[in-house]
Amino acid sequence: MTLMLAIDTATPRVAVAIGEDGRVLGSVYLSARRRHAEALVPAIAYLCEQTGVELRQLGAVAVGVGPGLFTGLRVGVTTAKIMGQALEVPVVGVSSLDLVAHPLRFGGQMIAAVLDARRHEVFHARYRPVSGGVQLVTEYRVGPAVELVAELEAGGEDVVLAGDGVASNRAAFGALERAVDAGREFEAPSATALVEIADGRVGREEFSAPWDVAPLYLRASDAELAWGNRR
Amino acid sequence: MTPDAGPATILGVETSCDETAAAVVVGGRSVRSSIVSSQVDLHARFGGVVPEIASRAHVELIGPVVAEALAAASTGLHDLDAIAACRGPGLAGALLVGVSAAKALALVTGLPYVGVNHLEAHLYAAWLEEPDLEPPLAVLLVSGGHTLLVIMEAHGRYRVVGQTVDDAAGEAFDKVARFLGLGYPGGPAIDRLAPDGDPEAIRFPRAMPGEPNFSFSGLKTAVVNHARQHPDTPVADVAASFQAAVVDQLVDKLAAAADGAGAPTLVLGGGVAANSALRARVGTLGAATGRDVFLPAPAFCTDNAAMIAAAAWWRLEAVGPTPLDDGVDPTAGLGVVA
Ligand SMILES: [Zn+2]
Repeated sequence: MTLMLAIDTATPRVAVAIGEDGRVLGSVYLSARRRHAEALVPAIAYLCEQTGVELRQLGAVAVGVGPGLFTGLRVGVTTAKIMGQALEVPVVGVSSLDLVAHPLRFGGQMIAAVLDARRHEVFHARYRPVSGGVQLVTEYRVGPAVELVAELEAGGEDVVLAGDGVASNRAAFGALERAVDAGREFEAPSATALVEIADGRVGREEFSAPWDVAPLYLRASDAELAWGNRR
Repeated sequence: MTPDAGPATILGVETSCDETAAAVVVGGRSVRSSIVSSQVDLHARFGGVVPEIASRAHVELIGPVVAEALAAASTGLHDLDAIAACRGPGLAGALLVGVSAAKALALVTGLPYVGVNHLEAHLYAAWLEEPDLEPPLAVLLVSGGHTLLVIMEAHGRYRVVGQTVDDAAGEAFDKVARFLGLGYPGGPAIDRLAPDGDPEAIRFPRAMPGEPNFSFSGLKTAVVNHARQHPDTPVADVAASFQAAVVDQLVDKLAAAADGAGAPTLVLGGGVAANSALRARVGTLGAATGRDVFLPAPAFCTDNAAMIAAAAWWRLEAVGPTPLDDGVDPTAGLGVVA
């Protein structure tokens, strides 16, 4: 029996779940806006209390590593890494885009996971449903929403759009003809998906030492970008 | 006012700027370990601290640094009595890393969490080497981020009597060093070069005389103007004269503040407190006015986590633990604690 704590803070929502062998015992979703650091630890404490799980019983910690809000990712990834280190258990990092796509695996269509990257840009990746999950068919990327829209249009395939980057770029995505919006329920990475995906990885021993888990930023810092342009 | 709960072993974490640090301190005074991982090389090519780069580095470094601090102190998590982190002032994204790490450790261990004010921690750095120090103290806190003149009346009771109206003292060193082509960080570069120059070669302005507040932007402009008008002046003379102007301003105001408050003890803190000319002048001031002078070792003047653990010991006794829903406060001031 493996008990697992799952955390995702890549969007304005804080998502936490506790799972046992891939089954969710409880989950908490908080619209934390940008107050991830305040909300996360109390949410974990509440969930432990309600599920009767003590942290020292955990066999693994799973975390959504983004791409997404930098500040949110730092809070979630740091918390997961330090807990894994202190409890001496493996830490499983899963892309937050995978956690948006996974709940849509039964639809049969191509899935585009799209998270808000501000400045009219989005973090995105595409997936095909396969038995037991979804399969990534692109890279994890960041770019203007209109570029992704043009690409999807050129692909000419039916596609389900999910993630908070769709609503925040409504004008761009509204122009797509062969796309349906999965809607509010699929706006943020799912902690349930994280429990399911990470449990499989723990079973296959696909995890890292806590120190090796890092946020997936996809973007250099502004200073590095400016420096690159100067050279 | 001495905590009577007995010696508590506290793990402190500090990530407010560009140092990732962790330390184990017993009873607010006895340093068992103090690990500081400086990111100065990461920021050098930008000539200053880049917040996003600092935040990313903290995420990578915090785990290893905490592990090293515990190992160096031969302490396990379960030998600790509390876990503390700096909650501000500082860079928001950087502070979040240390606070998240400390709260996660507090949750795992069931130990109290203590959120510590960075400025207050600089004051408590003095007790790490001088355990019998007694307030009132006149403290000059000078670094790249802060320039404060504080009267510490008692534990937890502070009066800020002066602060900079523009640049921080350390910022002035960085900007002038960059202009003179001496590299980053500027403080140590100017400190190294100044002894080769004449501090009286150029009479740069001493800003705001007779006032408790500091100003350095006019001084920086004066250095730039002088160097343009007299390009042949040896760089060492410019560096020495600039440093003398900064030190004069700092020491004159410290002397006035100590007089005004009747504080018998002078204390330096912050990264600029490592400056050898400033240390020498404050020593002279103490000797001339019959005051005790306390100059912490440079390792405890610059940002470190031992000072966080030291301040946390007093705070835990005076106000108790910090709730786990506490966040960071990037613009926190130095308030009254108890
Ligand atoms: Zn400082």
